[in-house]
Amino acid sequence: MRRLACLGLALLALAALTVSVGAQSKEPIKIGLAAAVSGGSAASGEAIKRGIQIAMDEVNAKGGLLGGRKLEMVIRDDEGNPAKGVTIARELVEREKATVVFGGLHTTVALAQVPVWAELKTPYMGAWAAGTNITRNGQTPNFVFRVSANDDYVDKYLARYAVDVMRKGKPGLLLENTAWGQSNETGLGKWLGDKKVKPVGIEKFNWNDPDMSPQLLRLKGAGADHVILVANAPEGAQVVKSRAKIGWEVPMISHWGISGGRFAELTGDLSDGVVFVQTYSFFGKQNERGQALLKALREKYNVKGPEDVIAPVGTANAYDGMHLVALAIEQAGSTEGAKVRDALESLKSEYKGLIKTYKQPFTAEQHDALTDADYVMVVWKHGKIVPVDVK
Amino acid sequence: MLLQLVVSGPALGSMYGLVALGYHITWVTSRTMNFSQGHAVMAGAVVAYAAYVGLGWPLPAALLLMLVALALFGMLVERVAVRPFFLAGSPAWLLSTIALGIIAENVAMLSFGKDARAFPSALTRKPILLGGAGFYPQELLIPIVGLALMALVQVLYHRTRWGKQWKAVAWNAEAAGLMGINVPRAVMAAYALSALLAGVAGVLLAPILNVAPTMGTIIGLKAFAVAIIGGLTSAPGIIVAGLGYGLIESFVAGYVSTGAREIVGFALVILVLVMRPGGLGGAPATRRV
Repeated sequence: MRRLACLGLALLALAALTVSVGAQSKEPIKIGLAAAVSGGSAASGEAIKRGIQIAMDEVNAKGGLLGGRKLEMVIRDDEGNPAKGVTIARELVEREKATVVFGGLHTTVALAQVPVWAELKTPYMGAWAAGTNITRNGQTPNFVFRVSANDDYVDKYLARYAVDVMRKGKPGLLLENTAWGQSNETGLGKWLGDKKVKPVGIEKFNWNDPDMSPQLLRLKGAGADHVILVANAPEGAQVVKSRAKIGWEVPMISHWGISGGRFAELTGDLSDGVVFVQTYSFFGKQNERGQALLKALREKYNVKGPEDVIAPVGTANAYDGMHLVALAIEQAGSTEGAKVRDALESLKSEYKGLIKTYKQPFTAEQHDALTDADYVMVVWKHGKIVPVDVK
Repeated sequence: MLLQLVVSGPALGSMYGLVALGYHITWVTSRTMNFSQGHAVMAGAVVAYAAYVGLGWPLPAALLLMLVALALFGMLVERVAVRPFFLAGSPAWLLSTIALGIIAENVAMLSFGKDARAFPSALTRKPILLGGAGFYPQELLIPIVGLALMALVQVLYHRTRWGKQWKAVAWNAEAAGLMGINVPRAVMAAYALSALLAGVAGVLLAPILNVAPTMGTIIGLKAFAVAIIGGLTSAPGIIVAGLGYGLIESFVAGYVSTGAREIVGFALVILVLVMRPGGLGGAPATRRV
């Protein structure tokens, strides 16, 4: 009997404690990050984390959201594995009570998570993975938002650059033999076709292929006057090396995969002149946000200058994404997922962001805040990323 | 195109041969082999990279360190993953060598990182252009060094005391032991040499393939295919099979497609196994009773 009383007393004390804690400090609003933070793509996860953290610090410095509640980040590693991605999505929402979850680099992971967000009624903010069907997933209501590239727009942008800016009409496509390569084969075919241009050759390569000269020689033989490349850093480097080896000075346009990893180190000056697409470049003149962000990166993460920013698009996308999420939470007046989702789709306030000024970035039909109008073309020069002027 | 393929083929092919020779050496002495030869290729490249690029050692010193490290690696494989099972007559070395290779790969991932790194070489800086084809001097160096090493191994095997010991152990380990040959030591030496050859292949390939923890897996597998095609017991068969395999790969990739390369290559393995189970250079298989 006495033991029971003790237990009751203890429980009461615990309850009182919880109540008093709740009263003393306002409960933080949790934002999840489900991305690859280990392994070969760890740099992308780290970059996204930095973008979110700096945006959060700015919001918290101004007193937080919903009358003083601070933002707090919870990170889980998806290891680039779709199954793991689904597990941590649930964990972030069900156990950690995240209001919104940010995503990472892998399209495969993001696609696997799409049904989970609808089921958990939690908005997802994509900061990297570019797969077209991540946002265009056919679900209503759609809980998936993105401040990043979308393969379809990238392909449109690349096709336009090749045909209208470079004035080339005989593209040779060189794609990695994966779902990502496939998605771009479709997109490039569509947008080049729109310009009445047909690829003279389509070549594929596997991960870890040692030599790309056979593919390049075939494209050369087919009469290609430029090459459109869809590759990540290691294979992209082999392509550039093989191109130098066979002495084919063909203009090369690339998707953004070659901006991550150690592309510059692997290729040195061989990559000079390879142009590729980005959502943002920290080189050149920066707007106010850009200056503030570089300053914060320097103070917090010891980033000395734009050339030191690892995986720059991750930080830029996540930074703007976090500010948009903060505005949506404030507008919703709640941390309830469904309400935040609705607010994202009908954001009233304009946000002067890093990448651009966002005026109603999302609608019921459009869940990509960035389109081909917002991309920038950059070029490798002596191992550094330099902007290209695109008219 | 033709010239391009004729140059690139033997570069990789001779390395398959060199690594395959490693399978051969331990197989003929002990009827066991290190199934993670591919990981020894990777270890060679990683160790040389760490010393040459990481620590800034001069290249000869880095190569020497690599040779010592790989010989030790081979001895470790023999001592830990092969000897206990070899003595017991169990085929479990098959699994234990694979296990050791996976451990080596993961150690490399933890210490070196998963990213591919460039291995600087003066011989891959400027390609030689020749009649529409282009190649790096390194690609010409590789088959020369590879063939020279294979010849050296043949001399070692047929002309030295070590070679005689290996032959004796291969013939009859028990009798060799009774004749005063230190059998475990002879087998260990064979493993050291085998890993060493793989390590050299790794360093030679590093400037072309880039250095990464996973770089050796496919090479090890293809070298095994070459060893089977050439005949595990026949060094000349392996050397020819290596060069041939490299050429065929290169031609299939050039004239058919890169996707068909692996299909043709490994189909060839099955074909040879059916037609000549002992491999091209091997004697028709005899059953030990």
